[in-house]
Amino acid sequence: MFEFHSLRVAELNAEIGGGATSVTFELPADLIDRFAWHAGQHVTLRFVLEAQEQRRSYTVSNPPGAPLRITVKRESGGLVSNHIADALSVGDRIEVAPPIGRFALEPRRHARRTHYFFGAGSGITPLFAMVQAVLTDEPESVAHLIFGNRSADTILFRKELDQLVTQHPDRFTLRHALSAASLWSWFSPWRQGHVDAQAVKAAITQTPPVAQDVQYWICGPGAMNRDLSSGLNDLDVPADRIHMESFGAAQPADDGVQGCAASAVIRLQDGQHEISVQEGQNLLAAIRANGLTVPFSCQSGVCGACRAQLADGAVHMRSHMALAEGDIAAGHILTCQSLAQTKRLTLDFRS
Amino acid sequence: MSKMYHHLPVEAYTTQDWFDREQRLIFSRSWRYAGLAEDLPEPGHYLSVQAGVNNIFIVMGRDHRLRAFHNICRHRGTQLIRAVGKTQKALTCPYHDWTYDLEGNLISVPDEETEYPGGLDKSCLGLKPASVDIWRGMLFVHPEPDAPSLVEWFGAVEPLLGPHDPAKLVEYPEARQSYEIKANWKIVVENYIDVYHLSHLHSNTLHMYDHARAEYGWKGPHYHFWEPPAPGYAKDLEQNLPSPRVIPKPHVGAWVPMLFPGTGIGASEDSWNIFILTPLGPELTRVENRTKLADASAWEFSKQEWLSSGFWKSFGGPKYSGEDVAGKEDPMASGDFTAEDVYACEQQQKSLASPYLEIGPAATGESPITRHQRAVLDFMDLQARQMGAGDV
Repeated sequence: MFEFHSLRVAELNAEIGGGATSVTFELPADLIDRFAWHAGQHVTLRFVLEAQEQRRSYTVSNPPGAPLRITVKRESGGLVSNHIADALSVGDRIEVAPPIGRFALEPRRHARRTHYFFGAGSGITPLFAMVQAVLTDEPESVAHLIFGNRSADTILFRKELDQLVTQHPDRFTLRHALSAASLWSWFSPWRQGHVDAQAVKAAITQTPPVAQDVQYWICGPGAMNRDLSSGLNDLDVPADRIHMESFGAAQPADDGVQGCAASAVIRLQDGQHEISVQEGQNLLAAIRANGLTVPFSCQSGVCGACRAQLADGAVHMRSHMALAEGDIAAGHILTCQSLAQTKRLTLDFRS
Repeated sequence: MSKMYHHLPVEAYTTQDWFDREQRLIFSRSWRYAGLAEDLPEPGHYLSVQAGVNNIFIVMGRDHRLRAFHNICRHRGTQLIRAVGKTQKALTCPYHDWTYDLEGNLISVPDEETEYPGGLDKSCLGLKPASVDIWRGMLFVHPEPDAPSLVEWFGAVEPLLGPHDPAKLVEYPEARQSYEIKANWKIVVENYIDVYHLSHLHSNTLHMYDHARAEYGWKGPHYHFWEPPAPGYAKDLEQNLPSPRVIPKPHVGAWVPMLFPGTGIGASEDSWNIFILTPLGPELTRVENRTKLADASAWEFSKQEWLSSGFWKSFGGPKYSGEDVAGKEDPMASGDFTAEDVYACEQQQKSLASPYLEIGPAATGESPITRHQRAVLDFMDLQARQMGAGDV
């Protein structure tokens, strides 16, 4: 499913005072088609760090047509994000797999839509690409961005967004919400606090849709996404107009649920294997630690390569972006996101 | 053989059969003006509009998005809502109280267990959706749920409609009126787009603009027209405008397009007006006028009125005076261009019944008339072909 290509780092830019890094890749002519992306999609990077293979998915933070660029927020203790921030140099080569992802906005020249974007923190990266795609390639449509951050100095792409407001005063509005605004900042946000259901309601009332084909794009931490989608439901927004991606997907989302130690039966084409799972260990990690080979790719719950059928037992999935509701009902799990919740499990990889 | 009025047979203007075909193939198959955006100011507000053979209602949801549905109860076809109004969460049919939510889902059927002992699948009985959108401050509906967008419909003509932003203007309620003209809707359209008549029928009412320098043409079925102010008006134009400007300097002139089918706009430096035609019968048409002006203070309006009074007190007057006037009510002596137009349309319609009618050659300034006749024919042909029916 994934093939990795070695891409040269063409440019490195520190964002928000080093709190994030933008990495621009050079795309050789023969890979341009293979790496074509829709605004909102992500690429998977592969590193070997501390003698272990590490894979992470990062959203392309540029619209299609612009240079291939990702923007990586530095996570405290994050192995890969700190490596990107501190150890990369222009000219380095990185293993990158082509863009994928269902959280994607495909602009249509003759569409006349109103897009509301709700983002927080590094959740701006797909939205930033989407806003620009709308402004460039959907000339009759309007974009409203409501962007939450802790404080003014943690706002990613602030200058670029201001520039878009200047360039498209009739088609783009930008509203900032700050949850911990500094008293000493000149920056005066639209709202104090998080981007929550009240903020959504206020924003829509303030700038109601003119074009009536309305789409809602949400990208932030899981809790914000849940709050916003239930807020939109309360306003009778039909579910098929709401598009959402949990952010922080590059790092396994720590939602506080702990996995227990377990023993698991793994059914593969070549037979059945019994393995032990450590407390807190995800199932994919446990399988690999026991020397078994199963398919996997992104290790962040977005690609679906490591899916298995849970034949017995119960797991908790931290993220399941790659699964449809029907898949989950049918017992499919993403092993890279699954923590054991029962002492005995049976997983089937044969289908 | 039918007697021809340029490209159309005279029957196209007089018979129920043509009227019915136009209702089916034009007015039921195109975007229809439904009001101004401010007619639905808040969630829960609704209005209904007749679009050809369809009655469609628009309602604003709590997300401030508009929904459009065919105004037909899925039970026995009764109209669900009347005219305009406001609801909280639901729409109830008056006949048997079947109730729908604002997404069109059937949510309640009285005495469901006893009246439908075999069960009723409410999920299959939602209201039929239609399309709705807002464009240049106006509401438009289309009977089909997946109609081509307004960009596709109006995109080519939009740059020729003037720099007005109707959403930023405010309605002048005193100018709102509705009246009937005893003529076919196409006669009224043809009068609206006839460039030749401007200097003649309206020789004394619309001469602040320079008809000889008018620029006009077509984008698909839509007609566009612009003319500059006449020299006497243009000299001291800023002073002569009767009310505050609605478009920025240095834009000047009058934009008078006719969007298909029968949606006229008349916009100038200081006002924006709509002229909406509804065919009521082969020989009867309703006109609805609404006017928007600058969002300016009463003081600014008074000031502009005083400034311009010198120009307007000596401007205009009746076309006929003295011995030419036929009685007190003679529209030709009214000095009002609308009265002049209504008179011309109704007289022409009457003549269509005469066996002695024979239409003379079309003048250069009447080329929009023959072009509009073509637009009517082409649109009906195309729709008939798309419907896969040979019943044109």
